[in-house]
This record gives sequence, structure tokens and C-alpha cells, in this order.
Amino acid sequence: MTIYFLPNERRVNWLARLAGGYNLFIPVKAGNGVHWQRFEKEQVDLDALALKEIRAAEPIKSFLFSPRERVALFPEPLEEPADGKPALLFGVKGCDLRGLAVHQKMFLEGEFADPFYSKRLKETVLIGADCPEPKDSCFCNLVGLKPYTVDGVDLVLSVIDEGWLVEVVSERGAKLIEGENWQPAAERQISKRDAQRQQAEGVLQQRNPKPLNPNLPQVIAERTNDEKFWAEAAKDCVECFGCLMTCPTCFCFLLYDQAKGDKVERTKVWDACYMAMYARVGGGANPRAKFIKRFINRFHCKFMHGKNQHGFYFCSGCGRCFTACMGKIDIRNIIGRL
Amino acid sequence: MNNPYQPIPTKILDVIEETPNIRTFVLKPEKEIPFLAGQFVELTIPGFGEAPFTPSSSHFEREVLEMTIMRVGRATGALFTKKPGDLLGIRGPYGKPYPLKEFEGRDIYIVGGGVGLAPLRALFLALVHEINKYGRIFLRYGARTPKDIVYKKQLKEWEKIKKVDIDLSVDSADEPWERKVGVVTCLMDEIPCDVKKSVAVVCGPPIMMKFVTKKLLDAGFPGKSIYLSMEMNMSCGLGQCGHCRLGPYFTCKDGPVLTWEQIKDIEEPFL
Repeated sequence: MTIYFLPNERRVNWLARLAGGYNLFIPVKAGNGVHWQRFEKEQVDLDALALKEIRAAEPIKSFLFSPRERVALFPEPLEEPADGKPALLFGVKGCDLRGLAVHQKMFLEGEFADPFYSKRLKETVLIGADCPEPKDSCFCNLVGLKPYTVDGVDLVLSVIDEGWLVEVVSERGAKLIEGENWQPAAERQISKRDAQRQQAEGVLQQRNPKPLNPNLPQVIAERTNDEKFWAEAAKDCVECFGCLMTCPTCFCFLLYDQAKGDKVERTKVWDACYMAMYARVGGGANPRAKFIKRFINRFHCKFMHGKNQHGFYFCSGCGRCFTACMGKIDIRNIIGRL
Repeated sequence: MNNPYQPIPTKILDVIEETPNIRTFVLKPEKEIPFLAGQFVELTIPGFGEAPFTPSSSHFEREVLEMTIMRVGRATGALFTKKPGDLLGIRGPYGKPYPLKEFEGRDIYIVGGGVGLAPLRALFLALVHEINKYGRIFLRYGARTPKDIVYKKQLKEWEKIKKVDIDLSVDSADEPWERKVGVVTCLMDEIPCDVKKSVAVVCGPPIMMKFVTKKLLDAGFPGKSIYLSMEMNMSCGLGQCGHCRLGPYFTCKDGPVLTWEQIKDIEEPFL
């Protein structure tokens, strides 16, 4: 695919043009981290734009798998959701896409597709961005990912000193760069991008040199009853669920009904398998009443069933879980010891 | 929009008192629910939420569904305040039905405990509807006391059906009782079918399923011929929300009926 170059002075114009057709979200530096923010031309501070930094604190699932959503009304059914301005996520990282892959498996590829997720996914435009500066918390190399995107997005963006390189991936992506008089990138610029990518891969390799056990799913199955191991791994957990709420691949949700006058409204919210009542059945029996069982269940889900059933780990290597963790439980140390 | 979260309005036609805490709800959904024996539905109790239940009526009759339900918690408590004429919601069917094709030509040994007879009734009625396709049908059913037996009248009728053999037990008989006293496994000391070629189907409280499974295995039933109702917290029914995970399975999509062969490696599969 062709790679184009956009000089620094024309970046704002392009962003403003994109914002005309979409709810444009950009990653910006704020406090100690990077956060998604809606792009407003008047307020935008390009120095705060965080395209070279690692993923935002919030996983992109927040835009697609809504944290709280009304999914049904009763007895009269819910009307078709109105067509709003679709979202454009500018600067999606390679690790973000792992979450997307998990959710597509879970929400779209089974017998029943979630129409709400499906609609938003179709409408949402994704512009990927390289990740030239991996941090200590990054370990995407261990779960089979790279610090840049090549597909699964509409455009791929790479930041170099003099501007942005943009690689067209999809037809929709090609439309996004129409009418700006884009110049094809020079070979020198592309080499620069490739060198940056290689360097980032090197950094990750240096930080996380030891690959995961190639038989990890099997080993986890065998070690399921090794309570000593799991108790040690979980000993600093205070059951705050921060790890699961910030996880880009977690897909669990809860449905609940509320009476609204003579109608019933059904809401879907994110859930977390660490919650004590999560697996409890009517009548009170609970297969994972003990926390240690719920702790192990998370590893089963992410590193055993995901890989066995879908061919990849349900983990993106983004490091949000231990960044959020009050007990500083580093998931790498646990899976690295298996 | 094909919205899988949307329940179909369903009217209660009748409520039958089976035991002091078990009722059969006769339901007429606005649209036919194309279920097969073993599959379940999510029942909406308006304002209280949803819970999974397996129809207990024959899948050859789908316009009117029956569900036999025990009052155990919040949702069923709310359901028990409902009367004929009241509105409920249903979505489904979900999960995998009993593989009746594989049952053909074989004896079928059904073991039920308490309200666990409800989903087995759907299976039993489907089997007797086409009884020539199958071998003999054995039904072994245990309840706590004679008062706790569901489908009392129907059991008497079923006993008259050719090729059907029924035996009952109660844990304790606090009123005159002519059958066996003891947990349901006391009916299983002699299994009158060729265990290598037959099918066993079990549904009941987890502790009962655990001991019945052991008894069936000891008797020589192969694990792949023992069908168990593994009902976990099946919340969405769609194989998505994660709540009903049992080992590698989501019981809402891979079950709720799983064979012993499928679950034998799971640590403590029975709650």
C-alpha cells in the first residue's frame, strides 16, 4: 500500500477536516499518562498530542463495548439506535487491536451477534499509530504482537521529525486522505519509520527477553491445583478489580433490569470475574466462592481457553492491569514463572 | 434489528401447584419458541430480571410452554407472585438440545432428583412421542418427601406406557409411602439395561448428580453416554457474558447438558 507524507504544519488542518465527519478522539498527555480526548480545533494543543507515547490509560473498548448501555425495553421493544456521527479513534496501538480481536470473537463470531457492538464496530474508523517508545509496563512482544499496526485499522500513522507518514490500509482509509494534496513519502522517510519500528522491537525484546512457555495453556491446566503457587501469586491482591476494569480484552458483562413506570429497561454493564457473586446461581451455590478460584479463573480465561479455542492469548501485553494494581501484581511475573 | 436481548411478551395461562415450593407455569409466548428438549430460555420477570429455565413440556408442542420452577431466590420469589393473565418475557432457545439422533435404538436410563425432573420431563415426553425410535425408557426419580414429588398424576399415567419403567424414592416418608425410602441412588443398585449400549441422563441437585454419576460409572456406563445438566449462572444465554464458565465451556452455549466425558477433567464440576 502507498505511504504518504504530511508535513507538520498541515497536521491541524487534516485533523480538523476529519473532525468534520466524525467524532474525532485523539490521545493527549495529561497528568502522568495519556488519555483519549475529543478533538476540538480551537482547543487543540499539538504538543499535548501523544502519538509516540504508549497506549492511552483507557482501552479503546470503551468506545465500542460500552461500559453501560441500554439493550432492551419491555414489553415494547427498543427502537433502532439512531445514526449518530461515527467515532474516529486516532492513534490506536497494536496492543489495542488485541482487545478488538477478542471482542470480535466473543461478540460477533458465535451463534448470536451483538447488534449494538456490530454497528459501532462497522462505523468506527481506526487510525493506527506506531509505538516507538515502549515503556517498562509494555510486554506486547510476549503475547505475539508488535509495537506498530499493519492491518485491522483504516490507516497506519508513523510520526517522524518532519511530519506524519500515513499508510493506507482500507478503502475507507483511502477516503480519509482525499483532497489534501498528499505527497508520497520519500524512501528516506520510510526507512526512518522502519528503523524506529525496529528499535522499538529491540527495546521490548531487551525488557522482556524471556518468551512465554510455548506450552503455557497446558502448563496452566496442570498447575490449576497448585494452590501454593496461586496463593503466592495472589497474596497482594485487595480485590479492587482495577486490573479487569482497565483490561482491553476483558469481555464479561452483566445484564440487569429496572422498572421504569410500566416498562422495564434492560442494561448491560461491564462485569469482572473477580467479583465474589459473579458465578453464583439462583439459590446461592457458587462455584468460585473462594477468591483464589476466581484469581485462577482469570488466568484460565486469558492464557488457556483463549489460546486453545481461538489461537491467541486473551492478553494484549499493554500492562494496564499492573499499572492499575494497588498490590503491584505484575502479570508477567506470574505467567513468566509457569 | 435482530436484538438477542429482547424478550418476547409471554402470557401466563395457568399456574399449577406441584409441591409447596414448586409450581408449573403454563406460558403462551407471542411468538413460537422453537426449542428442543434440553435447551433453555431466559425468563423475564418484569422489573426483577431474568433467570434461565428449561421448558418441561414436549418440544412437539411449542405454542404453549410449561416450566416447572422451584422458589429459591429473588427472581423466583417474584415469579411466584404472578398469576394467570400476568405478563412475562422469554428469549431463547439457547444451548444444545439432547442429541436424540444418538439416542435412537438405545435404552435410555433417566435419573432425576427434586425439581430436576422438570427438564427431564421435556426429554421424556419427546421420547415417548416417538417411542418406536428408542429402546426401553427407565425413569428413576427421587424427592425429599412424598409431598415434594412433582407431576404426581402424570407419573402414574406414564407408568402405563409400554416400554416405560418408572421407580420412585423419597429421602424420608412422613406420610404413607409404598415405594422405596432413601436417596435416589437406592433405586440404582440394579440397572436393568445393557450399560455399554444405553444412554444415561441425569438432572438434579449437584450433590445428587455427583453421586448418581459415580454410581453410573461404577455400573459401567461409558462417560460419553452420561448426559448431565450443568446449569451454571447462565445470564446472557448467548455465549458472551462469561458468567456460566465451566472449565473450557460456557454452559449456556456448549451445554447446559454436557457429558461426563466432557467435564471429567474439571475440578469439582458439581457446585
